[in-house]
Amino acid sequence: MNEPASIERLPIRTHNDIVTARHAAREHSARLGFGRAYQTRLATAVSELTRNVIQYVGEGSCLIEDQVDAQGCSIRVTVEDHGPGIPDLALAMADGFSTSGGLGAGLPGTRRLVDQFQISSEPGLTRIVISIHKAP
Amino acid sequence: MTLSLSQVLSSHQDQLLNHWLHDLSQAAADSGLNPAHPELMEPLRALFWAIIAQLNQEPAQQPNQTPSQASAHAPDQPAPLASERSEQQAALKTELQQLIAKQARLQRNLSDTLGFLLHLKHLVLKALLAAEAHDPTDRSILWLDHCFEQIARQAFDSALAERDRYISEQSLSIMELSTPVLRLWHQILLLPLVGVIDTGRARQVTDHLLEAIAKYEARVTVIDLTGVPIIDTSVAQHIMKTVDAARLLGSRVVLTGISPEGAQTLTKLGIRFGDVISRASLRAGIAEALLITGKRISAMDGGAR
Repeated sequence: MNEPASIERLPIRTHNDIVTARHAAREHSARLGFGRAYQTRLATAVSELTRNVIQYVGEGSCLIEDQVDAQGCSIRVTVEDHGPGIPDLALAMADGFSTSGGLGAGLPGTRRLVDQFQISSEPGLTRIVISIHKAP
Repeated sequence: MTLSLSQVLSSHQDQLLNHWLHDLSQAAADSGLNPAHPELMEPLRALFWAIIAQLNQEPAQQPNQTPSQASAHAPDQPAPLASERSEQQAALKTELQQLIAKQARLQRNLSDTLGFLLHLKHLVLKALLAAEAHDPTDRSILWLDHCFEQIARQAFDSALAERDRYISEQSLSIMELSTPVLRLWHQILLLPLVGVIDTGRARQVTDHLLEAIAKYEARVTVIDLTGVPIIDTSVAQHIMKTVDAARLLGSRVVLTGISPEGAQTLTKLGIRFGDVISRASLRAGIAEALLITGKRISAMDGGAR
């Protein structure tokens, strides 16, 4: 049984949009019956990624998609921006590396928070897709 | 012969005012407007006279000039008239702002206010057309249009300014509210953090806390995070900086209220709070703070109650 997927697209332009996006992520995961730990992890991951958008680029978007099927349910979040891109992905994914004086835990930490993590970056388009799954 | 706009206005203004206010208080069903609140009648009346004064400033006969051009730069106008005009415009602006502020307090929509204004335009236009049975001059109608266009734009600006002011007032009061530093006991401070911690708030919290630590010579500060919904790397970094600064002033920090999910998330993120003392609940945190300062809470003598 495939339920119609619920899709939510949020613009990321201000600090308030970070709060809106992670709130939406938490709501989606709560609605699909993910536990509190999962909800917090997804919300924190969305918070990290959207904060990166605000901090490094200034504008982007966040797409939240629910998927429910026989294999269970999952939530996929796509965060995109059209900024200059990340010059060295391997370095950006390394713990403790930061170009902004931060903790350098954002991207590598986010990867540990979620079940799937994909990143692609080139000048003009950086796209990060994360998802969490739950067995039925 | 045609009558000028000001001639029409001077003979009809009282009638126009009564008609307008009557219509607004009734709010004809077909207009889709909400009736004006009785409290608005006074500001509306004042606004009416300011608008009439503005309309009376119709530029003198200059056949090949549109009203907007005439008002934009009128080099051949005598100086006193120009200053009088800007005075009237300022008065109109003030009246508009007052009306908008009142509407905002009554929690009405901007569209209602604009509706009121456009209804007056409608009434004036009708009066103008009725009076100028011969040959309604385009100039008067253009001028009328120009005036109300400006008024509508000003109303819009005032409403936005009003809203901005309201929002910044609110966020200021939330800021004030949400960063109290409480003196829990001798040499013990409590800082309950609630809500979103962004850079601005983090700075404010740190400022308040350091001042209080210095003032009360606090040896222990309990920072309670129960009310912080998400602790991501940015929030964690702000907290760490606050902790470090407090330490420099000689105060140890006890973190409390990190939820089980929050703790799990923080470790997954790879954030270490190092040697900061942390307790699950505020209660445990307070007990720890008392222990550090060599105090304890005990039952009163003979108090088997």
